Amino acid sequence: MDTPTSRMTRSAAKKDSPDSGKKPPFHSKQKMDTEGSSDSPAETKKAKSKTPRKPKSAHVLKQKSPAEFFADNKNIAGFDNPGKSLYTTVRELVENSLDSAESISELPVVEITIEDIGRSKFNSMIGLADHERVDEELYDDFESAKAREKRLAKEARHQEIQAKNASVGKKVKGPMATKPTKSREASYYRVTCKDNGRGMPHDDIPNMFGRVLSGTKYGLKQTRGKFGLGAKMALIWSKMSTGLPIEISSSMKSQNYTSFCRLDIDIHRNIPHIHVHEKRENMDIWHGAEIQIVIEGNWTTYRSKILHYMRQMAVITPYAQFLFKFLSDTPEKNVTVRFARRTDIMPPIPVETKYHPSAVDLLLIKRLIAETSKQNLFQFLQHEFVNVGKSYAERLIGEMGPDFSPKMPVKSLTAQQIVRIHQLFRQAKFDDPSGNCLSPAGEYNLRLGIIKELHPDMVATYSGSAQVFEGHPFIVEAGVSVGGKDVKQGLNIFRFANRIPLLFEQGADVVTRTAIKRINWNNYKINQTQDKIGVFVSIVSTKIPFKGTGKEYIGDDISEIASAVKTAIQQCCAQLKSKIVKRIQAREQQERKRSLNKYIPNATGAIYDMLKDMSQSRASKKKRYEDKDADLLNQVSAHLVTKETLKEKLTQHVEQVDYEMALEYATQTGVKEEPREDVYIPPLEAINKFNDFCSPYFVFRLFH
Amino acid sequence: MADKRKRRRPVDDSDSESDSKLPFKSKLKPDSTILQTLKTLKDSATAAASSSATKPLTLSDLNLSTACREVTDLSLSSVQSSIESLILSFAHSILAGNGFSFSVPSRSSANQLYVPELDRIVLKDKTAVRPFANVSTVRKATITTRILQLIHQLCLKSIHVTKRDLFYTDVKLFQDQTQSDAVLDDVSCILGCTRSSLNVVAAEKGVVVGRLIFSDNGDMIDCTKMGMGGKAIPPNIDRVGDMQSDALFILLVEKDAAYMRLAEDRFYNRFPCIIVTAKGQPDVATRLFMRKMKTELKLPVIALVDSDPYGLKILSVYGCGSKNMSYDSANLTTPDIKWLGIRPSDLDKYKIPEQCRLPMTEQDIKTGKDLLEEDFVKKNPGWVEELSLMVKSKQKAEIQALSSFGFQYLTEVYLPLKLQQKDWL
Repeated sequence: MDTPTSRMTRSAAKKDSPDSGKKPPFHSKQKMDTEGSSDSPAETKKAKSKTPRKPKSAHVLKQKSPAEFFADNKNIAGFDNPGKSLYTTVRELVENSLDSAESISELPVVEITIEDIGRSKFNSMIGLADHERVDEELYDDFESAKAREKRLAKEARHQEIQAKNASVGKKVKGPMATKPTKSREASYYRVTCKDNGRGMPHDDIPNMFGRVLSGTKYGLKQTRGKFGLGAKMALIWSKMSTGLPIEISSSMKSQNYTSFCRLDIDIHRNIPHIHVHEKRENMDIWHGAEIQIVIEGNWTTYRSKILHYMRQMAVITPYAQFLFKFLSDTPEKNVTVRFARRTDIMPPIPVETKYHPSAVDLLLIKRLIAETSKQNLFQFLQHEFVNVGKSYAERLIGEMGPDFSPKMPVKSLTAQQIVRIHQLFRQAKFDDPSGNCLSPAGEYNLRLGIIKELHPDMVATYSGSAQVFEGHPFIVEAGVSVGGKDVKQGLNIFRFANRIPLLFEQGADVVTRTAIKRINWNNYKINQTQDKIGVFVSIVSTKIPFKGTGKEYIGDDISEIASAVKTAIQQCCAQLKSKIVKRIQAREQQERKRSLNKYIPNATGAIYDMLKDMSQSRASKKKRYEDKDADLLNQVSAHLVTKETLKEKLTQHVEQVDYEMALEYATQTGVKEEPREDVYIPPLEAINKFNDFCSPYFVFRLFH
Repeated sequence: MADKRKRRRPVDDSDSESDSKLPFKSKLKPDSTILQTLKTLKDSATAAASSSATKPLTLSDLNLSTACREVTDLSLSSVQSSIESLILSFAHSILAGNGFSFSVPSRSSANQLYVPELDRIVLKDKTAVRPFANVSTVRKATITTRILQLIHQLCLKSIHVTKRDLFYTDVKLFQDQTQSDAVLDDVSCILGCTRSSLNVVAAEKGVVVGRLIFSDNGDMIDCTKMGMGGKAIPPNIDRVGDMQSDALFILLVEKDAAYMRLAEDRFYNRFPCIIVTAKGQPDVATRLFMRKMKTELKLPVIALVDSDPYGLKILSVYGCGSKNMSYDSANLTTPDIKWLGIRPSDLDKYKIPEQCRLPMTEQDIKTGKDLLEEDFVKKNPGWVEELSLMVKSKQKAEIQALSSFGFQYLTEVYLPLKLQQKDWL
């Protein structure tokens, strides 16, 4: 344990021995020995000069409940600050709702409402009376007389400058946005999320919300959630910031009642603390869940993030319908966005899969052994892992050594034997896991989502086949769009992992890096800085290799994923290229004449000037030219051939070339673009004195 | 040689204080001995030059299977008349309603050929058509016409202008000096003359200092009396003449900083030499000047460049010409340049400390590997060895790395020792 005392003395030790460079290990060790007894006078003096410590408390062994751990380290679950907490709360609730609806194959309908609660309203909610400020100077935002003077002077100066500018006639910029005095006052929001999902069994509700690290989503499966925290973390945050409980109403399909529950969490014991838990009448045969929670947040700074999240969610789940509302006392700040459903086709529910031998560690093998229902080693290998068939299991057991036999009971394996199995799993070759257990968004959905939300000029999508890193299968899907509304110039990157959007820490992400550094956009006739490019990459896997504490980006160090992302984007670009080239050709077609004509004056001017110089120098120096050339120069000096003549002739030539090229272009593309129609011709020996050309829509009759 | 040094090394260390300050200084023999080696070098170079001078090899002597294109110096009037005949043919063609079209020799790398017998790059005879009535070439065709007109004017008035001047005559059309510069090279190829014969020069870039006397436009210049900066190399070589020198060799320096060190320390007085730098990639004037010195004075050329792929690249441009100007490689190249330093093997040999070495970037390594494939490197096994070492060790160093032993280490120890040991490739 590194108590403050020991740190202190060690730094003192360093100062004492500047010549310790030669034999540092010995020196420092000696010092370390003395530090226990701390009998050196210099050291004790230094230590005492600081504030007194109570080393006792550091030695008491404490235990932390999981809930406490997450309350202390809320940043790892995305609750870094009030603004981010609001954002994370929204996304956890939305993702839970989607999972819940998808689990019963219902097309999701999610309504999310954020309601701004003023301070006085909040106080009345918790039963606290409003207090008037008595001692103004006590508060942080108090403006002292000096500060006010300064501010007024600044404002006056600013006005003066503006007046001056106005008098000179300069373009006056809008009044300088006066920075709102930063108030540290917290703002509170009620977040409500309602869905049409499975709902929850009445009796399970308290544990589902009031116990951290208990969940339904554990297991090897492609899931949206990241930690299995979901609403629980939001509840901890609400407990920390407002102290208000969470309210849940839920109903399942077969139930004729609604469960209503109001609870909070006992953080120290990690158990739910139930206020109300009752059954109510189900009026309109609704199933699903509605969760209401009051938390501290920051709408102003995280507004765009939350809206971006909703928008990107709508891109990746076009089969869901979202209604997002923000309500506050000032109506002009209210936001209502509806993301309509565009398709009825839902990706299949991801199925739980077994572990791949190359993806397990020692602990996991032990757990699998403890949980398995299989009796002997042979069956265990064959049934608890993917890609281990009957014969392969036999070969594996043979390779493990003489201590192992197929019929030995699996529960009797010693720790050493398990290590041996683990080693073999690492070294042996197994087939790659299949991607059957994954549920990618699907090219169709991705494309639809992009078109729906961005309205691009062109879009191309690509879905890669399943690939593997460290025994986990993954699928990369990509879409690239060009143009569109509300898209800024340059690269716009949209990242999805297991069908949830990733918004933070974009810079280090594998998708960002690939798109910026490893794709040569010029190759595909796309201008990286000028065009409005949308890059959408969705990665699904049983295990997403997130980096960083917030699990907000996928590292660039896994070469399998990096190369899969690159190929997917390149495939999209290749599809776009042919379209873009065609479009450029068409544009060239239209602009050819104009761009050619633009240069005629320059070229003819230069040529004519030279001709004129030549004719002049010929007159003075009597330089010899051939007959033909001499004729021409005579014509120039006689003004029979002027700049205009040249211009005219060159224009004629350009027109002719343009005509030929247009004809060629029409013959090349015209045939391709028109849909072909079948034309039928009856046999010649027919009695009728006419021929019929039949098409599906009309008949063309030719009389002889 | 390296082995010997290693064995002696411990003795050196215990020798005296001054030696440990400037490593390897004790290895230096008196200047007179070094001068003797340099004299033999010069004599052999002169002998080689005079023997080959009797039979200068040209393209036509070689009977190559592929036809090659070379340009020659043309007089102003012949440049003028070839422009005029070209323009007259265009005028006829336009009046006949056929527009006009240039036939431009391609200067792409696919059209380049390294000829080992000549030790330089030459241009093959592929040409590209540049018609006016085509969207992709209309711009270039127009610029070419315009440049032709400007050069025609230069011919009429017989004056010189710089490339920059040329660009500024019609900024609106040229947009960017690289465009007018590129077309200027095209025009040289079309007319079959050197760029100097177009009367267009680049701004002065190269400088020369040392034991050299020559006439510039009639004025005699003594390069030992030009101060520290030296004499700027005149952009048009045709006004340079009457070269005289008592130097034993020509020292080619990549960097301005190293050049300044050598000039300030008057290195050319200790070892009679001519010091030249073009501050990085050499311009046409410097290359023409180098060639003129080499052919007229018959001195050996020794190069001091950075130990990185670009240093070798610069060396190659002096030696076998650049791809961009390969049509005129006959006039622009200086054959038989010795690579003195800083060579990758010197990094360890001279114990250049770690902090002065830089890791090569991916781009550097790629350039290095590409260079290994080039013919002009392959022909010299010593160079291949050094370059492979560089690519393998992934370390580069600049000439300035030697300053870690003191600013004057370059002039006082490194160069003399190198010369004494004839350590060049």
